[in-house]
Amino acid sequence: MSAVTATTPPRASALAMSIRQNRGFYGAVLLLAALYLVYNFIHPRGFSANVFIANTNESVALAFVAMAQAMTVIVGGLDLSVGAVMTLTSCIASELVRGEPWQIILGCLISVAAGTGFGLVNGLVIVYGRLQPIIATLATGAVAIGLALLIRPQPGGEVDLDLNWAVTNSIKDLAQTYHLFEDGEAGWLQPIAWVPVPLLILVIITAAVWIPFRRTVTGRTLYAIGSSEGAAYMSGLPINRAKLWAFTLAGFFAGCAGLYLAIQTGSGNADIPQAGAYTLNSIAAVVLGGISLLGGVGTVIGALIGALILRAISFYFRILSIDPLLQPLVEGVVLLAAVSLGAIRTLRVKNRLELFR
Amino acid sequence: MNVLRIASAAIVGLLVSTSLSYAGPKVVSGPGADPTCFAPWSAETKYFQWEAKPGPYRIAVVNGYVGNTWRIQMIKTAKAFAEDPAIKDKIKEFKVVSTGTDAPAQLGAIEDFINQGFDAIVTIAVSPEGFDRVIRLADRENVVIVPFDNILDTDAVMMVNEDQLQMGRDWGNFVLKELAAKGKTSGKILEVRGLAGNSVDRDRSIGIHEVFDATPGPWEIVQVVGNWDDGTAQKVTADALAVHGTFDGVITQGGSTGTVQALLDAKHPFVPVGGEAENGFRKLVAAHSAEGLTGLSIGQSPGLVAISMKAAISALEGNVMPQLISVPLPSVDYTALKDGENFWTDLPDNFFTVNEFPPCGVNISGPAIMAQTEENVQ
Repeated sequence: MSAVTATTPPRASALAMSIRQNRGFYGAVLLLAALYLVYNFIHPRGFSANVFIANTNESVALAFVAMAQAMTVIVGGLDLSVGAVMTLTSCIASELVRGEPWQIILGCLISVAAGTGFGLVNGLVIVYGRLQPIIATLATGAVAIGLALLIRPQPGGEVDLDLNWAVTNSIKDLAQTYHLFEDGEAGWLQPIAWVPVPLLILVIITAAVWIPFRRTVTGRTLYAIGSSEGAAYMSGLPINRAKLWAFTLAGFFAGCAGLYLAIQTGSGNADIPQAGAYTLNSIAAVVLGGISLLGGVGTVIGALIGALILRAISFYFRILSIDPLLQPLVEGVVLLAAVSLGAIRTLRVKNRLELFR
Repeated sequence: MNVLRIASAAIVGLLVSTSLSYAGPKVVSGPGADPTCFAPWSAETKYFQWEAKPGPYRIAVVNGYVGNTWRIQMIKTAKAFAEDPAIKDKIKEFKVVSTGTDAPAQLGAIEDFINQGFDAIVTIAVSPEGFDRVIRLADRENVVIVPFDNILDTDAVMMVNEDQLQMGRDWGNFVLKELAAKGKTSGKILEVRGLAGNSVDRDRSIGIHEVFDATPGPWEIVQVVGNWDDGTAQKVTADALAVHGTFDGVITQGGSTGTVQALLDAKHPFVPVGGEAENGFRKLVAAHSAEGLTGLSIGQSPGLVAISMKAAISALEGNVMPQLISVPLPSVDYTALKDGENFWTDLPDNFFTVNEFPPCGVNISGPAIMAQTEENVQ
């Protein structure tokens, strides 16, 4: 097999090419599949819709935050405000997402718009203020937490409970709650009725935002900046515009995370440790998902996979008996092992230049 | 408690609006089982009764934040109590997980244990809100959820706690009393708060402010956030001293040893201090009370986890249980401190002195847990 590909490189299939170029990403997909399959085999009620729904619910906010982080890492930056922006939008959503259906929809839109706007501000500060992203977002993250505390000094809020039930369940439950598609009994709906709504939300947003964006000149410019900003500049690519877009979309994804968090918990909470934990975990997820912290390599979908891996690791503590005080240690070791797997090929290269292919 | 009322109204609305029929506990009239251990919060506390299930049971503890001594001592107490002869035979499987301060992860873990078919889940909530979904699922599967320590703003689940509001009031009243004895009726107070966004932090602070606001004063209360952690509390106290000079009294929600250490380091004059039940705090108060470091130590006990486990088993056996169980405040002021009894000079500063509740048969003392660890290390 290897001999064939070696002799006919131009005609290698598109998939083989894609695999060679995105080893980190495909490795992450395999790791996730293995982790999640084994988890389901050990789980007393594995492979059931209930388990799947619970797992996806738990992962959505982190997945969105990781996607936000990916936007900025691809351009060679780092966004330390993603967790804070998530917290801010969840506090806004906890105030607005209730009442009449139109008020709920408007509330959702305003929440996501707030996150997006915050991302745009980040971008403006970084591009026109010429500040390092890591410092700029450290500061704006503190601003976001401050605003969140202002809006919601104490945890609370009454997010619409029907919405909470509908989006944290299967498609069938969603249809039942809002009396759509014959209360979820329509024949055509049955094959997908078990699909968790949180998963659907993730797929739709990724497909509607990231995939079309990546194909634009601006989208490709992100990678050019991450690989070599100087070369991208000399090639006449729209660097400022691409960076603005990267941080704005990061704000958008963080806003989605906040909105989902508010709906999921039915409330808002300006929880500072939680915001910090999400920011740190988003960076871990990005690395796990095959995105280089140096920029220019990886996709937002990789970050999504990385977030799911991070969650899947923690699922194991619930089915295996591991000393509770050893759990953080075990989690750290597994994480380190997973990240090291991605770097293992560096041990085998004959020519160091190959690393930069 | 406006939030509480709104939350309970929301829960009632949920119950009315839902089309799904699910079980959950029946609201019955009291008194409940074993009232000396499971004391109702107040006369208005309602009573729950679940359908009796045959034992032994599968019980999980879902902790949130881990990484301070209190939580570690709590986890050790839970594990030790699960092996206690009094309840060992009633437990088939016992698991403990910590999710960190991450609400979705905690909700996910609880839901996972419900899916796994566990009978009871004891938890310290990361956030006082947001449990509507898991409560609904637990009720559907007849699973008993018992939040303790950081409890929820709802009356739909059975919960175990010490009265945090009262704790705040007791600290406030103690400092007021001590200052009045010195002839001070106004001045500047330092309040060292806990983890932001947490119901315990909120309620204790409300209690403190309530008491001071009720006096003519005027009192200036300077708030700093110490995260219930000695290191953080020491740092923020030192910062506050640098900015404000001197205070007439100090109330620290936790990390009390650190707070007092900062006062000593800054050569701040000794003042009345209300604080938690860390061994180190009690040591310092005992050593310096004659010089004016009069202290009141009230502890949130890590042993609450054991009472919660016991309450969960009692509920699973079909006993009538109060919805909100009040555990008496273990409170000791500087006049009642006694080495070897309510603090231990030979034990580390950062362990929590109050752990046992004899009326509940929870007899795992702090020193016993410390001793156990030392053996394990050797």
